[in-house]
Amino acid sequence: MRRLISLSLLLIVALGISLCFSGAYFGAEGANRAGKLAQDRVNFGQRYNSRGLEENGAGNIVASVVVNYRGFDTLGEVTVLFIAAVGLAVVLSTRREKPARVRAEPASLVVFTGCRFLFPLILLLGSYIFIHGHLTPGGGFQGGAVVASGFLLVYLGCRGKGLRSAGFTVTESLSGLAFVVLALVGLAVGGSLLLNFLPKGSALTLFSGGVIPIIYVAIGLKVGSELGSIIANLSGEAP
Amino acid sequence: MVSPILLIAVPLGLAFITPLLGLARKGAPRYVPAVAMLFNLLVSVSLLPDALRAPIVVRTAGWAPPFSIHLVAGPLGLLLSSLIALIGLLVAVYGMDYIREGATTRYHVLSILILVGATGVVLTGDVFNLFVFFEILCISSYALVAYWGDSASVEAGAKYLIQGAIGSSFVLIGIGLLYGAFGALSMADIAANVSSVSSFRLFVSLAFLITGFGVEAAVFPLNAWLPDAHSSAPSSISAILSGIAIKAGIYAVARVVYTIYGAQSILPFVALLSVATLLIGEMCAFSQNDIKRLLAYSSIGQMGLIVFGLAMASATGVSAALFVVISHALAKALLFLASGYMILRTGSREVSSLNGMGTRMPLTSLCFTVGAFSLVGLPPFVGFASKFMIVRAALETADTFFVVLLAIALIGTVIEGAYFLRIVQGLYFKPAPQQAREETRKEPPLSALVPVGVLAALIVAVGLYPGLVERALGAAANDLLDRDSYVQNVMGD
Repeated sequence: MRRLISLSLLLIVALGISLCFSGAYFGAEGANRAGKLAQDRVNFGQRYNSRGLEENGAGNIVASVVVNYRGFDTLGEVTVLFIAAVGLAVVLSTRREKPARVRAEPASLVVFTGCRFLFPLILLLGSYIFIHGHLTPGGGFQGGAVVASGFLLVYLGCRGKGLRSAGFTVTESLSGLAFVVLALVGLAVGGSLLLNFLPKGSALTLFSGGVIPIIYVAIGLKVGSELGSIIANLSGEAP
Repeated sequence: MVSPILLIAVPLGLAFITPLLGLARKGAPRYVPAVAMLFNLLVSVSLLPDALRAPIVVRTAGWAPPFSIHLVAGPLGLLLSSLIALIGLLVAVYGMDYIREGATTRYHVLSILILVGATGVVLTGDVFNLFVFFEILCISSYALVAYWGDSASVEAGAKYLIQGAIGSSFVLIGIGLLYGAFGALSMADIAANVSSVSSFRLFVSLAFLITGFGVEAAVFPLNAWLPDAHSSAPSSISAILSGIAIKAGIYAVARVVYTIYGAQSILPFVALLSVATLLIGEMCAFSQNDIKRLLAYSSIGQMGLIVFGLAMASATGVSAALFVVISHALAKALLFLASGYMILRTGSREVSSLNGMGTRMPLTSLCFTVGAFSLVGLPPFVGFASKFMIVRAALETADTFFVVLLAIALIGTVIEGAYFLRIVQGLYFKPAPQQAREETRKEPPLSALVPVGVLAALIVAVGLYPGLVERALGAAANDLLDRDSYVQNVMGD
């Protein structure tokens, strides 16, 4: 029976492929215009590279693409991460059969002290990465991930210190809201969502790039708190 | 005029702020989805007349289309976003009282986001943006399927997650190939240049995209996840999944095939698949004893009918398919919502446990019957008008191939009639089981009766006056079929 089903599936796929080729509708004019495409591809990169700094004032062109030209995708991607965190919390909190709690062995003094020493430094590095996202490689997602690694370290090294998920929830909500509100201000001011409406500043300084650094900070906080809340939920410390 | 992008931005902002509201006031989050969807419904409906004149192209970040992401709020997009908002609003009202256990705040957040995802899918004009919204739609539905947390729903969620993730990866590979071939992500830009790439490269990317979106659209043989997922989810979510989510998958397939590729030559193959989907769905539904699994399989059957209409590639065929999209969304949402409280009261999902409900919960049973009759295609309900239009479209093609397939599809409708009439017979003409609980005599609360009643009223109203939607359907079909004007609208300004 199983073989029959798989054979019939194969037959359907084979039929589909042959039908598609027999039609030979695709590319009716052949590849004679292929030259135009190569040109098109260069055009996108070239345009962003040559005019990105002038249009957005951000030294890191990748930041302009992520937050401005394709900022709407970024808003969606932040949402995808948000959904993953919320969805995980739903599945963990409603699970009927709770696994037996295993008492965690406290970490050694060396690890514990190392964690307390490193945690603020990791937060600082993460914040540096997302605040300078418009100038140097890195940005909101990367900085947020570094911040979250600090919380992971707390989970590993300081078992006694439970991570409070309410703090994550507040940060997550407010930073997400900040992103949407900044985007909407662009719509209100210039009639286009995510418009870079602030002055661009002088290039390659901290205060440049208009809204890009502000949005990057919001993304960094959001990603950090989302990943943090995932860690808090998985560690079972969250209510 | 308000910008159509608010249809995405405002509910998204509300979803972000909902957890905060939940911390401040425990009861507040349950009203947020209804507010968000009411806003979307009002905006969508108010924009529809403008979109019927000319599609509204919305740029983001202030740059002209190919250089940044843009939305295309045409007749098709706004018609579907109105439908999403309407069903979403009714389900949100239903969910206020229905969802009492579990992580309720998170349920309401995810239920907004699943609708934001669907709205984004139907409005976007950028193929990568389509993927992003598709992911928003899919990932929130994986979590919601597992909401009750018992082993069956977690298993269904995991199954859906695995198959959906494979489908999404296929989509991503397809988009990668497209970007490699064209160096562009705007659908209109790609559509304008599609003939400049060899047909083999196009075929490979198209195959990846159709397979990937086909998983969500539940086209045979990619629909193994659906019966489990739709039956294990809370009934309110089943209504969204069956009424909206799979339609977003169908929309994505149609947009890719018609607008981006203009690939008419694969349509006979798609038509064959659609009829296989229809027959398999209806036959599986016929043999079910679990009411929610039965409704889920019947959704597969109706998907087959929709794809069949789309595969005709004629204006009437596509309009008919869109009409079935509307009629199925209304009827299936109604059936899931009505059966939700019946299951809650009887404590069982067996079809036989619904026996005698006609006298115990008369209003719910009456609405359920309206939904069932509409799906079967009995006049004067909307299902009749939509199925009749499919028949007319198939005969209009004057193609033996489509007429033969139509005959097979109508056999599917007969099977559908058999199992729905069996349920309705049980509701009214069979005695209630001996050990029936006393609470089965209680009608659901007003927050559930109103959505169910509104859906039943809409099914009758649109069934009696199909003219209410006919103009929008024609324009929407044209939006899908007329590639040249789509490209011109986007790239022209």
